[in-house]
Amino acid sequence: MGSVLFNAFSFLQKKLKAQDIPCVNAVLDLKDGQRVKDILDDLGIAPQDIEGVFVNGKIAPFETPLHDGDRIAALPPGTPGPYRLLLGLVSSPGKKSDKKKDLTK
Amino acid sequence: MSKILRINTREKTYSFETPAEDIAGLGGRALTSKMILNEVPATSHPLSKYSKLIFAPGLLSGSPAANSGRLSVGGKSPLTGGIKESNSGGLVSQKLARLGIKALVLEDKPEDDRFSMVVIKKDRVEFLAADEYVGVCNSDMITKLWDRFGKRVATASIGVAGEQRLTSASIQFADPKGHPGRAAGRGGLGAVMGSKKIKAIVVDDKGTDRVPLHDPDAFKAANKKWVELLTSHPVSGQGLPAYGTAILVNVINEAGALPTKNFRTGRFENAQDISGETMAANIEKRSGVATEGCHPGCVIKCSQVYNDKDNNYLTSGFEYETIWAFGAHCLIKELDDIAMLDRLCDDLGLDTIETGVTMGIAMEGGIIPWGDGKAAIELLKKVGTGDPMGKIIGNGAAFTGQALGIDRVPVVKRQALPAYDPRAVKAVGVTYATTPMGADHTAGYGVCQNILGVGGSIDPLKKDNNVAISKTLQIATAAIDAAGLCLFVAFPVLDNPEGLQMIVDMINARYGLSLVVDDVTTLGISILRDELEFNRRAGFTPKDDRLPDMFKEPFAPHNTTWDFTDEELAEAVKF
Repeated sequence: MGSVLFNAFSFLQKKLKAQDIPCVNAVLDLKDGQRVKDILDDLGIAPQDIEGVFVNGKIAPFETPLHDGDRIAALPPGTPGPYRLLLGLVSSPGKKSDKKKDLTK
Repeated sequence: MSKILRINTREKTYSFETPAEDIAGLGGRALTSKMILNEVPATSHPLSKYSKLIFAPGLLSGSPAANSGRLSVGGKSPLTGGIKESNSGGLVSQKLARLGIKALVLEDKPEDDRFSMVVIKKDRVEFLAADEYVGVCNSDMITKLWDRFGKRVATASIGVAGEQRLTSASIQFADPKGHPGRAAGRGGLGAVMGSKKIKAIVVDDKGTDRVPLHDPDAFKAANKKWVELLTSHPVSGQGLPAYGTAILVNVINEAGALPTKNFRTGRFENAQDISGETMAANIEKRSGVATEGCHPGCVIKCSQVYNDKDNNYLTSGFEYETIWAFGAHCLIKELDDIAMLDRLCDDLGLDTIETGVTMGIAMEGGIIPWGDGKAAIELLKKVGTGDPMGKIIGNGAAFTGQALGIDRVPVVKRQALPAYDPRAVKAVGVTYATTPMGADHTAGYGVCQNILGVGGSIDPLKKDNNVAISKTLQIATAAIDAAGLCLFVAFPVLDNPEGLQMIVDMINARYGLSLVVDDVTTLGISILRDELEFNRRAGFTPKDDRLPDMFKEPFAPHNTTWDFTDEELAEAVKF
């Protein structure tokens, strides 16, 4: 048991706020063995609403196991900047869908 | 064929000339950098009569191609002492192109202190006295010019910072609504315009025909696909229109790369307060405009109008880098204060990145307290008043750091670093260090690996592959700047293997050429070679391609350092 800090950004933040789902510096309970995808499932976030997830400041797979005190943030599609590639949101040209599969498998 | 318009600011004369063979096929940044290399002695003073200021539309500007209305402004930078291309939206680029003007060149300088303005029309160029406009801020300047010449004209103007030839001075352009929200901001080119005593340039394309297209059907077909590409991609079609570039505040903060309190840490505890999400919510509450283009024909529309609490206009073109510079960098968490600082920069004619970083240096030096937005506003208002502190602030971060005896000054080639920490996103650090422009994120913005075949996954916290990525981005960006395209087209181009071909198809259909995709790479490399050669002649050496010592410190939360060797950085300038 423990907790994680959760944030959602841009369209996803707006969507979750409209549903009164905590998504700005929200402290969520963490059960033993929970992974990123379990937290997202618990919040009712659909996979197509997410392009990538930060775990402690780095883009990480959805299967990443979580620990007490971790910080996670969900990014919907549409995030610009030179860092789509540099942050790992996109692996290489034309392989965006492959990368997404890697993240969500 | 398009002409070069030369304006002698001392004699108040002008001439049109046919471009020489070596520049006839160039546009935008390719043209400004080539002409600066050819015509401006590299060791001359940027504010002297030997210096020139060149405005050049991109190759596609003026055509119906979506997002092709960007303008390149080139010169020798009074801030860096090196070559400069500063890129802006607004209305000037497309109107120059429709007038058949490939480049507008301001030359020489007057011997007296009287300001003029230049009015360019279909059949003539006029010099008009501008004494009555001296001291007028850019927003009032646009209002006066539109009242006088009609609301269809394009304007470029300088504020008091440019009049006083301060090295952070920008050139501001009217956006389609008449706000001075678009800027050739970086590198102090407003001071060059001020040195030539040109307060404003008015471009009126009334009576001109459409830009000729060599193959209209092929152009139309390519542009149709181009528009579909831009509007269907989630970044250019959804993210940027809804939140502008400020969408990045939360993202870069989360990545631990948002430089906070003069690059001490990578996260700002009040990031949500200054985020794109907060900006968008305020715009909705205050009857602002959530999305608008910086020039006609833009389909991305990442600009906006941000109103104050009383629903009155406060600023527009409220960019991520501006919000970062006055926000996280200075620990200011009130978004309305940051918006006012942005407004003041637009009106005074100052680069927001340079000025925001400078404000943090003023805080570092104890001139005003960290995080005090109201004090920052009052300090910024001193620019242009004759107050010596205003002169110091208006001359940028390096100058202010020197004046205050500060060693913690985040600059490369005397230009302030933008909103991404080089220790947490290392490829951009390589670009900051090595681009001929001085620290500049837009010099390596377009992520177009598919153009050049530089593959592999990238870890932003490690050195691996990041020199190659920086080089790729610098080449691609230079080419996009030459085309007159907005840099944000790079996102859909990255994700679609046909994207670059569409650009090439439009250029070919416009001019009757047979370019192939590889020619884009060749063009980008040739631009960089010209720029590096100018800087070499100006006296720059490899030791200028370095980040300051402050970046050797570990950077939280990832605790990475700037660890590139001199040899590795030397690779980044081999083109």
